[in-house]
Amino acid sequence: MKDTNMQNPKISAKGVQVYYGDNQAIKDVNVEIADKTVTAFIGPSGCGKSTFLRCLNRMNDTIDICRVTGEILIDGEDIYDAKVDPVQLRAKVGMVFQKPNPFPKSIYDNVAYGPKIHGLARNKAELDEIVEKSLRKAALWNEAKDRLDKPGTGLSGGQQQRLCIARAIATAPEILLMDEPCSALDPIATAQVEELIDELRQSYSVVIVTHSMQQAARVSQKTAFFHLGSLVEYDDTDKIFTNPQDPRTESYISGRIG
Amino acid sequence: MTHKSLLTTDARTKRRNASEARFKAYGLGAIVVAMLALAVLLTSVIGTGASAFKQTYATVSIPLPEAKLDKSGVRDLDVMKKVTTIGYASILQAGMVAAVEGAGLQTDMKAKDIGKMLSKEASATVRNYVLANPEVVGTEVTFDLLINGRIDGYFKGRVTMESAALDSNTSPEELKLAQQLADAGIVQTKFNWAFLTAPDASDQRPEAAGLGVAILGSLYMMIVVLVLALPIGVAASIYLEEFAPKNRWTDVIEVNISNLAAVPSIVYGILGLAIFINFMELNQSSPLVGGLVLTLMTLPTIIISTRASLKSIPPSIRDAALGVGASKMQSVFHHVLPLAAPGILTGTIIGLAQALGETAPLLLIGMVAFVREYPAAYTPDAGLFGEASTALPVQVFNWTQRADPGFVERASGAIITLLIFLLIMNAIAIFLRRKFERRW
Repeated sequence: MKDTNMQNPKISAKGVQVYYGDNQAIKDVNVEIADKTVTAFIGPSGCGKSTFLRCLNRMNDTIDICRVTGEILIDGEDIYDAKVDPVQLRAKVGMVFQKPNPFPKSIYDNVAYGPKIHGLARNKAELDEIVEKSLRKAALWNEAKDRLDKPGTGLSGGQQQRLCIARAIATAPEILLMDEPCSALDPIATAQVEELIDELRQSYSVVIVTHSMQQAARVSQKTAFFHLGSLVEYDDTDKIFTNPQDPRTESYISGRIG
Repeated sequence: MTHKSLLTTDARTKRRNASEARFKAYGLGAIVVAMLALAVLLTSVIGTGASAFKQTYATVSIPLPEAKLDKSGVRDLDVMKKVTTIGYASILQAGMVAAVEGAGLQTDMKAKDIGKMLSKEASATVRNYVLANPEVVGTEVTFDLLINGRIDGYFKGRVTMESAALDSNTSPEELKLAQQLADAGIVQTKFNWAFLTAPDASDQRPEAAGLGVAILGSLYMMIVVLVLALPIGVAASIYLEEFAPKNRWTDVIEVNISNLAAVPSIVYGILGLAIFINFMELNQSSPLVGGLVLTLMTLPTIIISTRASLKSIPPSIRDAALGVGASKMQSVFHHVLPLAAPGILTGTIIGLAQALGETAPLLLIGMVAFVREYPAAYTPDAGLFGEASTALPVQVFNWTQRADPGFVERASGAIITLLIFLLIMNAIAIFLRRKFERRW
């Protein structure tokens, strides 16, 4: 495996093991993820890429039988340290889920919820500003500005997912985790979200889990290939798709496994 | 391979269709049986009970002579109280006889028997009125007085001339005179507000018996149940569903809560008797103890329905809240609980309705007592909801035990009242569910 050490990585994972009860889901993963980059996790179903993604904002904490060992550093701080409150961590590491899951509230309240609970706005005007900025960044402002008080669940699938992205970036995170964000969307909505991901790279470190190798090739600069719980190969996206080092990576991207 | 036409049905398909038709017929039959049972129940209850909401009164002018009612002559209440209802009965008798004569009616009945046409309750009504308004002594006042239960039964069709001939408590002459008085407009059948407001009455006067104390007692108990069971039940469910670790202990608790919902209610009565009355020495027959026992009984119902509605909220909502950095508690209180609220409210109201209709545990804690005093919500002596009371279902039970046929009508009337309260509660449950239901 090629040495992927980089200068000042945003996220740095060392020897991460994840167990669900007695099953080991992630085996000794070491990876460094750069800031202002889109990093794609690819691999066949059940390879552990989503599990690893959920370690990065400790969403696995909600699963009773899940146990994580090893070290995950964000900006050099161990996020599994006993002193870390996952609530603060998740404000810094936003997440977008596989299925669009807006709250059954108005579009405005969906976006404003995060800033409200973290006290990011001192008054209504500031909150309005955050909501507008987030919706603009998520490329939803023009479609939603006249119906901010309408329920977020009334939007189309693609719009809902962009609303979820707006909700995630409203808390001013530094890292954005996306767990197959386009798997429930049609090709047109997918194209819009992908375009958005490319823009988000300007401000955030984006980590995206995807089933679609074309999508990984289109949106990411770095790609990590997971197989059976191990990180098989991690390199520049171009290299992974044109000149993979590991035979398993080669089999996967050429469609022989997965 | 042989070619089969789609226009002919093969044997296998025919069998399948036949079995489907049979199943539909069974289902329809079950519903018809259930509807018939309901129709029979309602017809019988309403048939016997509806007349409890009407009551026969005599409008009679009663002279209130000072010589008999106030020996002191200065309206001294202590002296006036010495005249008992027996003393008043003779005045009422005089009033009735005067009314009969005034209407120009001929009868062979003795004055004493004419006086007995009024309910035994009537003299108490007049006495209470006089003691409350001493200035009326020496004048003549017109009262609406209860007629006795047999004559009341005659106007409602329960008592006939034939049955009266065999009955030592009434006679055909009495009924004939009553009919004449009714024709003269002196005796009338009116809507019976007293049935909903008056307290219970003794065995000899079903015509005076009302549900006032029972309704008040049931209301107090429902307040106790709501105030205790809703917060405890919802808090327990939220903890078990959202916060508690899933291990052997929580499994044991879960199984036991389900079992508690199936425990016969009389067992809760024994528990209440042992803990609340014998050990904690709370007042027996009090709505407080009744409410506590019903709370214990209702808690499993509320916990089970609350947990079910919490479970039905998709986990994606919790993920979404946690994902933007909400704490566990914020995700529950901001997102999960509002969505589960309609289910929780429905479960709570159904639990309350169940508690409202519960009889057995209340018998054990003494709420079956004969209570004529309206219980106060709070007194310094008895504390909050500490005064003796009865409850609606217990009143039904109580009245069905009495000998006088007048109480059969009262019991059915009480059942109708109870059913109306239950209907109102269920309507509220449906309304709340509709109002708060949200889609996601």
